[in-house]
Amino acid sequence: MYKEFEFKSNDLTKAVPGVYGDVQDQVNGMKVVGHGFPVKDAVEKVTGSLKYAVDMTVQNMVHGKILRCPHAHARITKIDTSKAEALAGVIGVLTHHDVPQNDWEAAWFNYRGKVLDGVGRFVGDDLAAVAAVSEEVAQRAIELIDVEYEILAAVFDFEEARSPDAPQIRVEGNERDPYIVKWGDTSEGMALADHTVECDIFYHSQQYASIGRNAAIAEWMGDKVTLWTSSQTPTETRDGVHEALGIPLSKIRVIALPAGSSFGQWWSNNFMMIAVLLAKKVRRPVKIELDNEECMSAVKRRHLEKTRGLMGCTADGQLTVAKIDHLIDNGGYGFKDDVGFFCVDMWGKALHGHYAIHGINTNLLTAGCMRGVGDCTLGASVERMCNQLAEKVDMDPVEFRIKNQIKPGDELRMQHSRDNMHHDSVEEYLAAIPEEYRDEWPKPFHLSSGSTEEILRRGAKSFRWAERWNGWGKPSSVDGPRHRAVGVGTGAHVCGVEFEGNASAMVRLNPDGSLKVHCSVGRQGQGSETTQAQVAAEEMGLSLSMVEVETGDTDSCPWSHGSLASNTMFRVGWATREATRDAKRQLLEIAARDMFDNSDPADLAITDGHVHIKGSRSDSVSISEVLNMVRSDTLGQTSSITGRPAVPMPPSTTFARHFGAQFVEVEVDVDTGKIVLLDYLACQDSGTVINPQVLKNQVIGGAICGAGFAIYEHLVFDKETGAIKNANLLDYKLLRAADFPHKAEVLFGDSYDPVGPFGARGAGEAPIAASISAISQAVYNAIGVWVDLPMTPERLIRALGKV
Amino acid sequence: MRIRLNVNGNAIELESATDRTLADVLRDELGLIGVRVSCSEGECGSCTILVDGQPMTSCMMLVNQGEGKEILTIEGLGTPEDLHPIQQAFIEEQGFQCAFCTPGFILSAKAFLEENPNPTEDEVAFAMSGNICRCGAYPYIVRSVLNAAEKLQAGSSN
Repeated sequence: MYKEFEFKSNDLTKAVPGVYGDVQDQVNGMKVVGHGFPVKDAVEKVTGSLKYAVDMTVQNMVHGKILRCPHAHARITKIDTSKAEALAGVIGVLTHHDVPQNDWEAAWFNYRGKVLDGVGRFVGDDLAAVAAVSEEVAQRAIELIDVEYEILAAVFDFEEARSPDAPQIRVEGNERDPYIVKWGDTSEGMALADHTVECDIFYHSQQYASIGRNAAIAEWMGDKVTLWTSSQTPTETRDGVHEALGIPLSKIRVIALPAGSSFGQWWSNNFMMIAVLLAKKVRRPVKIELDNEECMSAVKRRHLEKTRGLMGCTADGQLTVAKIDHLIDNGGYGFKDDVGFFCVDMWGKALHGHYAIHGINTNLLTAGCMRGVGDCTLGASVERMCNQLAEKVDMDPVEFRIKNQIKPGDELRMQHSRDNMHHDSVEEYLAAIPEEYRDEWPKPFHLSSGSTEEILRRGAKSFRWAERWNGWGKPSSVDGPRHRAVGVGTGAHVCGVEFEGNASAMVRLNPDGSLKVHCSVGRQGQGSETTQAQVAAEEMGLSLSMVEVETGDTDSCPWSHGSLASNTMFRVGWATREATRDAKRQLLEIAARDMFDNSDPADLAITDGHVHIKGSRSDSVSISEVLNMVRSDTLGQTSSITGRPAVPMPPSTTFARHFGAQFVEVEVDVDTGKIVLLDYLACQDSGTVINPQVLKNQVIGGAICGAGFAIYEHLVFDKETGAIKNANLLDYKLLRAADFPHKAEVLFGDSYDPVGPFGARGAGEAPIAASISAISQAVYNAIGVWVDLPMTPERLIRALGKV
Repeated sequence: MRIRLNVNGNAIELESATDRTLADVLRDELGLIGVRVSCSEGECGSCTILVDGQPMTSCMMLVNQGEGKEILTIEGLGTPEDLHPIQQAFIEEQGFQCAFCTPGFILSAKAFLEENPNPTEDEVAFAMSGNICRCGAYPYIVRSVLNAAEKLQAGSSN
């Protein structure tokens, strides 16, 4: 007999008092969802025992180091590794001659290329690798590799790279086909406009600047390989190894360990593939640990971007036209053709629109998706133009947003004409949806739930916006050189995307009544091991202490995108709930048959781990009793129950978004150019809040990361070589505790999504976008001049015309 | 060379090359992985330890600078069964996300609260600005330290 745990409701955790307020209505009657439990790994985190990949070791392992390209663009004509191999302690060297010449792709085209192909496409690119008994010996051996290069012409400016005469960085050419979204006719939209504004804004590149670095350890057993690394995308990483090596997925096991702050940096990265190939070659487990400079100059970064656009509105503030051309620089190995431009949906009430995104390669460090990709740049450009239009018609920014931003039931714009839906047209895509789901599922290409309206109204009230806002470009107070003003900004993002595959999850209900969830989402501080457990516990009628979640082992977790595109709670959470529902159905069928006199399973419920007739707790039996009975059951039912999503997930990209609206007060010193953030309110509409403590933290974290991009952060590229000149935290400045208002508050909207688990949607990316726009607008209100990002003191003083 | 360290109350003697950092020795030789190393240049504060009670970035110290000193790492502060009040406060206020920086923040907070047991919010925010939390849990870190100050005050008045 398996031991049955004593059920005390949520005994290992205690919800933090005082966090229920905002979400009380959503979570009425729910015991686990909606409550602010501490995260499951909280004790490991505060005692320093949580193991990240840099902490991981494997018996018998050796250490790897990577030879990095010293040139912006060069082909290896000769590589001599003999001196390196002769060095005492060196186990082996990997060059492009050892590497299968297969392209592999990271999620969302964040990398596309071969692991090594004898060409360096930016300063710092991977060229070869050494395995040795220590990192020090490996590094000395790297310096002993003799390489002869053919120096190739390089291009760093993404506009120059578009020219047919530009040096070609990839066999596919430097520029992707534009990603175009259009509706109506922009010339009509122009004709309808009483006012128009234009923009031409360049965005510097933000670095993920993760605290925590990363490592990859690869070990082969026969023809099977295990890879330990910190990653948000375990199954995508396994797929990358599969593509790079051309071996079956079943021979690859990725164990994704917790990551430091990642924001998209640690998905699947080329150094992980190098570790796998180097370990294979030297027939020893190999650990490659990146140092901080490598993390900041050799992995990836946010794109450099440029928006040229025009927007127009009527005299009463109705947007009539948005006509926008946006460039993104993919660096050497990025291959994106879009930047998730959800501002298009958010401001989709514009009567006519045409957005074109152009992805372009350059000889700079690879660029990829960083948190709020596109929202922080293109979205910020659109917000600025809308602010300028609101000023022209003398409308309050809160009201202008409520008038022009999307509401539930409105049409979504960005999916129209999307060509990677595996259908030639939207009509064909819709026609492929099985008939039985058409009425049940939200209407495709229409917003299912949530908006900025409620959070803008409640946020404005709470922030006392009407009192504090003094009009466009007018400070609320001036004290010598110090101007104070408030600003508001909004952001929206998708809640996961299905075009690369549908999320799944698997649950196992154990004979002791405990539940294990397997879902591929990684752990980078977003609390998924806790929030997914809350979803499963609520569905199964268990206390949170009876549910654990495996987030990183691809041998047990079915495929999901991972934690990206604000996918985790909406899509994976849906899969976790459906898998749990499937297990529950099986359990109740057994219980109904064998313990409730062949009653109808639909009449049964589970509360606190006990099965009972709905509405009556008198004759309950524990899950453990049901499953222990089955152990000797002659009908052959297995004694642990496995659940999986038993119904298809609706195509969520076509209806689900999440929203942020943030309010800030700034003080700008017009003599020094210094910006100080004084007061902050971050409002978030993510549908039902599964764990308010976790979500508050994530929302404020997004606001702070956005604030960093708004006022400090940017990579500096060498004009001659494209090398990153500030790949360290001395020269790349991050916000610190005293740089952000510590009284910042969070307010949640109370929308409910018809598909997301218990009404929840995505969360992670709208907050960073809202923050950038709120701070930009507040600075404008303080000084009457728009300042491009980052609004460093020098740029602010220049914008004021003082230098 | 032979180094004598006193780490978390244990006297330890070990052989080490003189050019190794104290952080590396604590991590690699003594297995104290709570000494987190990220920027390796004393900027992020993840590797903060207390040396004779003072917060120091151990990635910037050579191992022999620890000779004869009382060193406290996060492993010496509290245990899962008996958390230190600052650790308990960080859990209650969720003063972290990924938590790579957390041991450094907690040890910085310990040294700070010993000097200033009843701080204002602004004093806490300033004192916690030697460490970087890239996840951006700062408001909750400030609240954690204030919560810890209350816990420690209550503990000392009992």
